[in-house]
This record gives sequence, structure tokens and C-alpha cells, in this order.
Amino acid sequence: MAQGTLCNRQPINTEETLQALLADTQGKIYYKEMQELDVDTTALGLLIEKTCKSRIRTWLSICAKCGLCADSCFFYLANNHDPEQVPAHKIQSTLGELVRRKGNVDNAFMIRAMDIAWGKCTCCNRCSIYCPMGIGMGVMFSYLRGLCFSQGFVPWEMKIGSGMHRIYRAQMDITSEDWVDTCEWMVEENEEEYPQLEIPMDKENSDIIYTVNAREPKHYPEDIGDAAILFHIAGENWTVPSKGWEETSLAMFAGDWEGATMQVKEVYGAIDRLKPKRMVVTECGHAYRATVIEGPYWAGLESGKTPVETLHYVEWVLEALKTGKLKIDPAKKIKEPVTYQDSCNYIRNGGLSTVGREIMSFIAEDFREMKPCKEHNFCCGGGGGLNGIGRYRQQRNVGMKIKRDQILETGAKLVITPCHNCWDAIRDIEEVYKLGIRWSFLKPLLLSMVIVPAHLKPTEE
Amino acid sequence: MAETVEYNGVSFEVDEDGFMLDFNQFAPEWIEIVKKEEGISELTDEHTMVIDVLQDYYKKNGIAPMVRVLSKLTGFKLKHIYELFPSGPGKGACKMAGLPKPTGCV
Repeated sequence: MAQGTLCNRQPINTEETLQALLADTQGKIYYKEMQELDVDTTALGLLIEKTCKSRIRTWLSICAKCGLCADSCFFYLANNHDPEQVPAHKIQSTLGELVRRKGNVDNAFMIRAMDIAWGKCTCCNRCSIYCPMGIGMGVMFSYLRGLCFSQGFVPWEMKIGSGMHRIYRAQMDITSEDWVDTCEWMVEENEEEYPQLEIPMDKENSDIIYTVNAREPKHYPEDIGDAAILFHIAGENWTVPSKGWEETSLAMFAGDWEGATMQVKEVYGAIDRLKPKRMVVTECGHAYRATVIEGPYWAGLESGKTPVETLHYVEWVLEALKTGKLKIDPAKKIKEPVTYQDSCNYIRNGGLSTVGREIMSFIAEDFREMKPCKEHNFCCGGGGGLNGIGRYRQQRNVGMKIKRDQILETGAKLVITPCHNCWDAIRDIEEVYKLGIRWSFLKPLLLSMVIVPAHLKPTEE
Repeated sequence: MAETVEYNGVSFEVDEDGFMLDFNQFAPEWIEIVKKEEGISELTDEHTMVIDVLQDYYKKNGIAPMVRVLSKLTGFKLKHIYELFPSGPGKGACKMAGLPKPTGCV
């Protein structure tokens, strides 16, 4: 059975294979090898038999092909109602066929399935809420990704991402030492302005354990500093773990079920070790989905819940605003028109739709909803890992037109994006379509308007 | 998938996000291209120092460094790195140094 040296069925488990893949810029050799990659139809058939349970089989069989899902899909709308973009068609012609044929498919079929699973669907799950049969499309596309991954048909960047998790327990090459060093550095960088600032490491029995996205220590450490300052101002008894600090899961996006399980167990291990009362997840959508919604099932937790109660960062912010732990200076509230990007992963798929609106009532004078919004909001255009995959850049940019138009209709020039993926997508919308908009996480906005208690300010010499 | 951009007769293959495809093709003309995109009017010694550090690290490790490493090796505070490269160390600085686009959620 032909397998490539870079593109093959083995997950990345060593630094050497990871380095070799990284050196293949843009996955040129990788995708060339993919053209020759054989499908192990026996293994694929067995995997389907073992993992395709009654729920997915039922969904596939009860789909009435009514087409009501079509208008719910931003890809369908952005591509002039192309029938190839109808969600029911996309899933039936890939996963449906795979199951019906019991895995007996060829290379061309798998490459097409990959291009649909990652390039024409962000697993935003919007179509599911309009399906009269209640079919969970995001679940099925995620499952399809898992089948593709098992045979090595996965976009280059996703294979790298899942390999990073397997090697570093983080989506980027950040070790525990790197993470601890970065936290210490962020204290140093901010202690002049906040003299007693600390990032408590591995403190047991704290009220909050805070976990982040690996891109924060790798590329955007200010996010860690901002979080620390806000916890400090709010007077929280908090900690970060030296291990198990990474909440995200490119392994989930890659369809690497084993890698996703390894990752989430690392986070739960930190909870078991440090025994915090609650966990707070940074401003990331898919981190919340991976660790709070899907993670308990991957880790085999019978409760279906995280080991301790978990809050998305927006929930912590709202609680802190309501309890007065964070007090906003009314004169510094946002005066200009501002809109809010609902992250699919914790709004539509996590039930937190009202939280953002309540936060807006504390911090913004002219808040403007996108239409539609909340559970009905459209994906930013880059979810599900799509932002990070070069192979589908043009498709992504076309799909982003829907979000672009939604933002333009609000008249707002500032978009609040409490999700890393949405933050990137809105940035890229500006880069591609030049709307003259700005985008921000909540943390820097809160820091610009929060009242710092006198005892936390530097003493004047 | 690759496109070509040119400055003063020197051309570079770039990826879909405008990052240079082949690090070995790096030439001073590349900096001129990215400078304009990044809105940097005057390239200072400090910009050059960041670029040199990124390139050295990439040559040794095959990947971009985390920002902490960049700060240690240049002696620059995070705020100053952003002053030098407004779109951030992971994007603007890596792009100007000719590194490939960092993978993952960036």
C-alpha cells in the first residue's frame, strides 16, 4: 500500500517527523504524495463499523434532502447558491457514501472528502438548527474528519497541529518551561504599573485555574499579561498550571481523536493535581468546545462534565462586572458604535448567547447587533481550523463575504471578538476587503476602562 | 497556489497570505515589499536586529521563536516590539524576516 514519507496514515509522534513536515513549506511535497496515497479500505471499513454508531447512521438515513439547510450555510450564500455547497449534499456525498460503501472508496474520493470536510465546512453547526429533522451536521463533519485523518487525508497544517499536541501537549512548540518563563516575563513587563502583580503558578486549592491558547505564549503574550492584571484588579485567588495550561485542540480540528484525548487529559490532570474550585477558559471558542463540551466524553468522564465547573472568559467577566469585582469608569465606556461577534463554539454550541449582551450593557454606549445574531449568527468565516489552512484560502475569503456584509450593516467600526479564531478572521476580513474596521478581545478594552483600586496603584516616590 | 511578487526586478514566490515561500530566496528587496504592507516608513537598526534574530533562530530550529525568546535576544520589551512591528511579532516581523507563515491558530 503506497504511503508517502510525509503524507501517510501515521500520526506525528516524534520531533523528527514534525520537523520534516514543517520544512515542507506550504505542504508542497505532502500534497503531491497525497495524490498517490492508497486507501486502506479494510481498515477504514472496520473503523466505520466500530465507530459509526446509531445516532450518525440515523441522521444519515432520515435526511429528507429537503434543502432547508441550504440557506443556513454561509458558504452556500457566499457562492451564489451553488448546489455543491448545500450542507445535506456535502455530508451525504462524503460521509453518507463512506458509510454506505463500508469504506470501499479510492484516493480521489478521499481527497474530495477532505476538501469538503475542511474547505467547505467550518463545523459551525448553523445548518443543524434549521434542520427540521434535528440532524447534527457539525458532529457528522467532525466524524468525517476523523475518518479522513485515519487514512492520512488531512490538510498539511492540521497534521502539524495534531502532531504538536502529541509532542508538546500544545498546538505550538511551547514547553512547560517556555510557558512558565513567559508568565514570569509578563509579570516583569507589567509590575511597574501594577507593583504586586503575580501569576501564581501551580497554587493548590485556588478559586480559579486559568488556562489559555498556546498562541498566547508563542505569539501574543500580552493576552496573558492582560488576564493577570484583570484577575489582580478583581482580587481573585487564581492560578495557572505549569502543565495542562493549553486549552485548545487543533487535534480536534484535525480529526485526531487520540491526540484530542491526550490533550484534554493533560488539562484535567492539572485540575486533579491542583484542586481548584473552578476553571476559567481564555477568550477562545474552540478551546471551550474541546475542553468543556467534547473533552469529558473523550476522557471518559461519565458525568459528561469537566472535573470542576468551567466558565468561558466572558462568563467570568460578566460575573466580575455584576459583583463589582471589576468596576467600569462610566466616562471611559466605548462611545463609538460597536458590534459583537458571536463565536459558534460557545454561543450556538455552548448556550452562552446572553452573556455578551449583558457585558455590552456595562461597557458600550452604542452597541449594535449583527443581523442575525446570537445562536443564529453566521460563522466568522474561518472557524473549524479553516483560517490556518492555506489550501483553502480563496474559498475562505469568498465565504467571509457574509460576515463582512453583516459587519458593514451595523455601521460599527469596532468588532469585539472574544474568540481567537473570530479575532483572526475579522482581522483577515479587514486585510482582504479593507473595510476600515478594528477588532479586539475583551481584555484590552476592559483594561482601558476599569477602575484600578488605589491600593493596587504604584506608590508615588 | 504560489504567487510571485516583485521589487526592483527581484521576484519572490509567496504563499496565499503573502509570506515568502522559500526562506533561502531572502534578499533586501523583500524587506521593501513587506515594509510597505506593514506601514513601516523607515527601517531602523532595531528592525534589522529583530529580523536577524528571527532568521538565526529559524536557521537553527526550522520554526519561528516564541516572543519571549525574541525579547530576550534583542533586549526589547514587548511593547517596543509592537512599536516596531504593529501587526505583531508572529505576523509582521516573521513575514519581513522571510520566515514561512507560522502554522496553527495565528
